[in-house]
Amino acid sequence: MSSEVRRSRWPLIKPGQSESLSGTPRSASARTDPVGRCRRLLNVAGPFLGLLLVLGLFSLSPSVRPYFLTGPNFKIILTQTVIVAMGTLGMTLIIISGGIDLSVGSVVALTSVVGATALVKGVSPAVVVLLSVAVGAGVGLLNGLVIGGLRMMPFIVTLGMMGVARGVAKWLSGNQTVSVPDTSINAIMDLKDPTRLFPLPLGVWITLGLAAVMAIVMRNTVFGRYIFALGSNEAAARLCGIRVNLQKVLIYSVAGIFFGLAGLMQLSRLTQGDPTVAIGLELDIIAAVVIGGASLSGGSGSVLGSMIGALTMAVLRNGSNQMGWPTFMQEIIIGVVIIIAVGVDKLRQRSTKN
Amino acid sequence: MPGTSQRKYSLLCSLILLAVTGFAAEPPYTIAVIPKGTTHEFWKSVNAGAVKAERELTAQGTKVKIFWKGPLREDDRDQQIQVVENFMARQVSAIVLAPLDSQALVRPVHNATRAKVPVVIIDSDLKSDEYVSFVATDNYKGGQLAGEQMGKLLGGAGNVILLRYAVGSASTEAREAGFLDVLKTKYPGIKLISSDQHAGATRETAYQVSQNLLNRFGREVNGIFCPCEPPTIAMTKALRDLGLAGGKVKMVGFDAGSQSVLDMKNGDVQGLVVQNPLLMGYLGVVTAVKHLKGEKVEKRIDTGVVLVTPENMNEPQIKELLYPPLNEYLN
Repeated sequence: MSSEVRRSRWPLIKPGQSESLSGTPRSASARTDPVGRCRRLLNVAGPFLGLLLVLGLFSLSPSVRPYFLTGPNFKIILTQTVIVAMGTLGMTLIIISGGIDLSVGSVVALTSVVGATALVKGVSPAVVVLLSVAVGAGVGLLNGLVIGGLRMMPFIVTLGMMGVARGVAKWLSGNQTVSVPDTSINAIMDLKDPTRLFPLPLGVWITLGLAAVMAIVMRNTVFGRYIFALGSNEAAARLCGIRVNLQKVLIYSVAGIFFGLAGLMQLSRLTQGDPTVAIGLELDIIAAVVIGGASLSGGSGSVLGSMIGALTMAVLRNGSNQMGWPTFMQEIIIGVVIIIAVGVDKLRQRSTKN
Repeated sequence: MPGTSQRKYSLLCSLILLAVTGFAAEPPYTIAVIPKGTTHEFWKSVNAGAVKAERELTAQGTKVKIFWKGPLREDDRDQQIQVVENFMARQVSAIVLAPLDSQALVRPVHNATRAKVPVVIIDSDLKSDEYVSFVATDNYKGGQLAGEQMGKLLGGAGNVILLRYAVGSASTEAREAGFLDVLKTKYPGIKLISSDQHAGATRETAYQVSQNLLNRFGREVNGIFCPCEPPTIAMTKALRDLGLAGGKVKMVGFDAGSQSVLDMKNGDVQGLVVQNPLLMGYLGVVTAVKHLKGEKVEKRIDTGVVLVTPENMNEPQIKELLYPPLNEYLN
């Protein structure tokens, strides 16, 4: 069965039609009606507004503004966003498909340890990059096989994998951090000249490039549209001839690639493999995806939104540090922002339903 | 935020001063003090010391403002790197840093130095020399003091457990090395029955490891050494649970957490090697300011260690170390 045939069985999802399944069915009137258009614009612009609000908040203080709105500071914010952003690329796929992955932090630690151990053994940096991708995709494949094949809850399966991957990372590293020799891997996340915006670290460019690729994949490919279909209504997707379980295996494996790359970035940033790093990272990533407008019940979300979400979290952290706010304030603020983001999303959905 | 309004107020004052006198008021030195974490009492003393330096220097006419900021998730290296980078971008005058890892923090410190933000290292060493000064306890000497006390307590013979802290933490590894070296060279009659277990960062993980160790070695052990606050407190608690405390098993620990001091008063701890974290925070900030003023500073500043025993714990100098005047400096 060619994908062309299968696509025709799913009349609602055509490549290029981006919001048909995002919980906001576009009616003919909404397309012409200025109020509807305005609301749609707001949907897309929501995460941006949040980011602008946060940027504005920190620019208010006269003692912080001269340092906050500068090139070097944005270079730092972008570099600090890379690991979470890379994770959100994978997590966005999974959440839109109606799933969840709690093992990301552990996979990041595992990849960083595997990469570091390989570098110590003299493996070339290029091979280490491939190895990181393979480790991430491998764990994702395992997750996908159990979730799709045995039809188990993603929450439980990946919760188990969180422990397994963390344990393997500690085992491989002998419970120690693995320091690496100075190779081109270390340079990926190097700030180089901390007094100027450019050159940005390579890791920032890689993340931006992959985000562009994934945005196109989600919008314009069969794989991308099937993910939306799966998250909107799994039973309907199955009835329409989508091989749901195979699709799940694919989704978790592809997402795993990004988690592996996030691990590589972490290795480059710490210049060591650390089995205890990134505990709780998955929660930051899920928060970023949700702030970016995705719904945890699946079927809606966007790559762009998730990237903005990741950036918002990094700006919040950077700004609170520079304001000299105590750590507990920062935790409370980020928590409140997440709840507000989800609340706004709920209101939006309710208003479109009526 | 009270801080913001205070800052606005001080800005206003300096503007008025500028207008009235025509002289530019000297901008205050802003110094970021970045500990490894914020919940342990040890770091509260460091915080108090930094505040003490801020007050004294300001009273002497050098305006200093400190930012006290630990990593969001304690013991997460990446989070501490972020804090260092964010203060570097904020262009503080200097950073006083207790690095969570001797390797992972090297690059951020280099970057800060390149961005003209000098860094003073406190507490734990860094595998680099691009810092202004290293202000810390001589940890190896501290470990030796603990070894001496253990040898004396056991009369030179018995079975000893060393519960290590965490891998990659330079300060505790130096203490462990000092302890082991003294036992090996001066007390050959003492046998080490376990020295390869790590307690981990929190009291909870340390407590679990202690229970497991005592379950295995509880019948043969005569003395235990723990190289910092969380395992010392946790191991003493585990000893009490099993009825081995009160001197049946000799307990030598590190740092003056208020629980450890109480344990020593009750006779459950026979020796504590005590550092001077308040002095560390104080000298960290003072050294940074000296450097900013262009004065020459020592590359290595020792803040001293003392062995506290149940016999000397009531002497006035020791008392000041055991009960640092935190309330005087932290609201």
